[in-house]
Amino acid sequence: MPPTPIYLDHAATTPVREAVFEAMRPFFGPRFGNPSSTHRWGREARAALDEARERVAKCLGARADEVCFTSGGTESDNLAILGVWREARTAGRNAVVTTAIEHKAILGAVHEAKAEGAEERIIEVDKTGIVSRDSWNSEVRDDVAIASVMWVNNEIGTIQPVPELASDAKSKGVVFHTDGVQAFGKVKIDAASQAFDLLSISGHKIGAPKGVGALFIRRGTKLHPLFHGGMQDRGRRPGTENVAYAVALATAAELTIAESAKECDRIRALRDRLEAAIVARVPDAVVHGRGAERAPHVLNVSVPGTDSESLLMALDLQGIAASGGSACSSGSISPSHVLTAIGVKPDLASAAIRMSLGSLSDDVCIDRVADVFPALVMKARQFAASG
Amino acid sequence: MSGGVDSSVAAALLVQQGYEVVGATMKLFCHGEDVPDRPCCSLDSVNDARRVCEQLGIPHYVINLETRFGEDVIDDFVAEYERGRTPIPCVRCNTFTKFRDLVKKADSIDARWIATGHYAQLVDGELHRGLDDDKDQTYFLWGVDRAVLSRMLLPVGSSTKAETRAIARKLGLSVVADKPESQEICFVPDGDYMKILRDRLAADSPALSRGPILTSDGMHIADHHGFAAYTIGQRRGLPGGFKRPMYVVSIVPEDRAVIIGPREELLGRGVVAREVNWLGDPPAAGMHVSVRIRHRARLAAGELIRVEQNEIEIALDEPVSAITPGQSIVLYDGSRVLGGAFIERAAGEALAPAENRRQSLPILAA
Repeated sequence: MPPTPIYLDHAATTPVREAVFEAMRPFFGPRFGNPSSTHRWGREARAALDEARERVAKCLGARADEVCFTSGGTESDNLAILGVWREARTAGRNAVVTTAIEHKAILGAVHEAKAEGAEERIIEVDKTGIVSRDSWNSEVRDDVAIASVMWVNNEIGTIQPVPELASDAKSKGVVFHTDGVQAFGKVKIDAASQAFDLLSISGHKIGAPKGVGALFIRRGTKLHPLFHGGMQDRGRRPGTENVAYAVALATAAELTIAESAKECDRIRALRDRLEAAIVARVPDAVVHGRGAERAPHVLNVSVPGTDSESLLMALDLQGIAASGGSACSSGSISPSHVLTAIGVKPDLASAAIRMSLGSLSDDVCIDRVADVFPALVMKARQFAASG
Repeated sequence: MSGGVDSSVAAALLVQQGYEVVGATMKLFCHGEDVPDRPCCSLDSVNDARRVCEQLGIPHYVINLETRFGEDVIDDFVAEYERGRTPIPCVRCNTFTKFRDLVKKADSIDARWIATGHYAQLVDGELHRGLDDDKDQTYFLWGVDRAVLSRMLLPVGSSTKAETRAIARKLGLSVVADKPESQEICFVPDGDYMKILRDRLAADSPALSRGPILTSDGMHIADHHGFAAYTIGQRRGLPGGFKRPMYVVSIVPEDRAVIIGPREELLGRGVVAREVNWLGDPPAAGMHVSVRIRHRARLAAGELIRVEQNEIEIALDEPVSAITPGQSIVLYDGSRVLGGAFIERAAGEALAPAENRRQSLPILAA
């Protein structure tokens, strides 16, 4: 009998919550209307959409008009970077500042801005992934259109001092964006007391379906839309709104916030236990981001003398789902740009295994991984040593 | 699993036979852009392999062997053309990539066997030609480490291609059943290998530079724009105006010269070959063998007249056309593959002596 599968890849995606699924259901049935229509069906849909927007806003400490629904984290990030830069360049702010450990959605958007004429500035990070304040201070000047720093790193879990960076940016008149996709529900996010201007979130990381996300856009922040068409979402995001998914995002966000404190404690305890067990049995295992403040759900570890590709295969064949560096479109693994940026040597970077915990993680599965992972590592090392 | 019909059916047959099968697709190169319908390595092919595995209910992984493949296969491919030879990358891929590097990956998941969709057969630890003579792929497999033979499974090797397609249809593997076949080199887009060379060699590389087209008695006929574009036996693209059809009969890289001649100048009575690999105990000189000097060429009879550690010489019973340095020579005893080697040069007196030829080319001093 194959062992019960263990899902340790919650940072990649999460299952849709039952309550979220139920909340969406009417919008695939009788409440199918287009929110822009003036008739009964339209009004009904519009009401649901507005309510969803208010609920998401509340979860972020924001006002409803500051929430723009998108297709997910990537679109939110692109809208923030390109939208703000295309607007600000005309006012003499041409530089875009970010870090080397951002998600590809940010780096890709920044590279696109560069291709269109932006000046790209990459801030240095230390070996745990925390932004260097010296580098920040020297790069974030009055010619910067937008600075973007990811709140919680998706690969190593490092938490950046976003509220301080945002305040500093504000004092220089620089628009500040943060990719909060991994941060939502893991750190305190409050647009009312924190100074960020834009923040991206994604539905499928918190129990909503893939294909929905939101961008918080602080009132007064000017940005150019990515799409052109109708006046939906104040013209910031033309296209008929995905009412069902907006409702799903709102429901998932509320549930996530409601359970946040307890759930964070729970998965932190599990993560710390797994980490301790691995380090105890494999003393030279390197835990990336260790030493910095880390989100509770991510454990990224490299064992010298192994490689991610083989280890992920071996884990998968044991029913354990984890991930390596960034999977490319073919599905093959290449060394992570994040680990490379924090100075991890190529050998070690290509051995990285990210295990990320969440709703499907419990004592039983953590104990089994704590058992299986070191055993597979030992075997992989024997092979490496023998040939 | 390349995403083609042969490896898909191979996997399906093994699943039927009760093996615990893990599908693997090797990622071998990246041109930075996707090439549709390209077997082996394009995204579409990976996706097809993944879908077949889903259908078969087995796991599928993409194994990144780009760096090793680049060094062992693509770099060598380029270097061979630079040396005026015509490389055969599939042999090196099988030797170094599939049946060495991929076997290591198999080790790491405790997989005892390594199976492919090759048309060749294993009988009692010996490698034999595939049943479908038209599809036989032993020409590409002679280089594998002898020790690996005992772990190889070649489930479609005793089928014809038509039978393999029929099995695919019967099993409902509609993704791959009627996929067209490619004879091209997987990492060469559109068969244009000169593009690879231009990308990887300096613009002033001799292999890509102007040089003379000469007859074997030294007559300067025309100029070419890089000897890498020529291969032994090639007729296309040569200057016309001769009474008889002319062929490339040799390439002299140190003179940047391409030598052309009539068909009979292509004939050779012997072969010297290097980088020898035996799939059993090395045969002794004097053994009568049949050989193949080019994929799909007819088998030729000959005698192994010299066997050294790293070089062999074969005397052919009848002259053979277009013995091409860089291609393989594979030696058979009946259907059994004895081993093979890379052709170094034609031997025997059928060709004009090389020294004379070069002395007769004063024009090349510049």
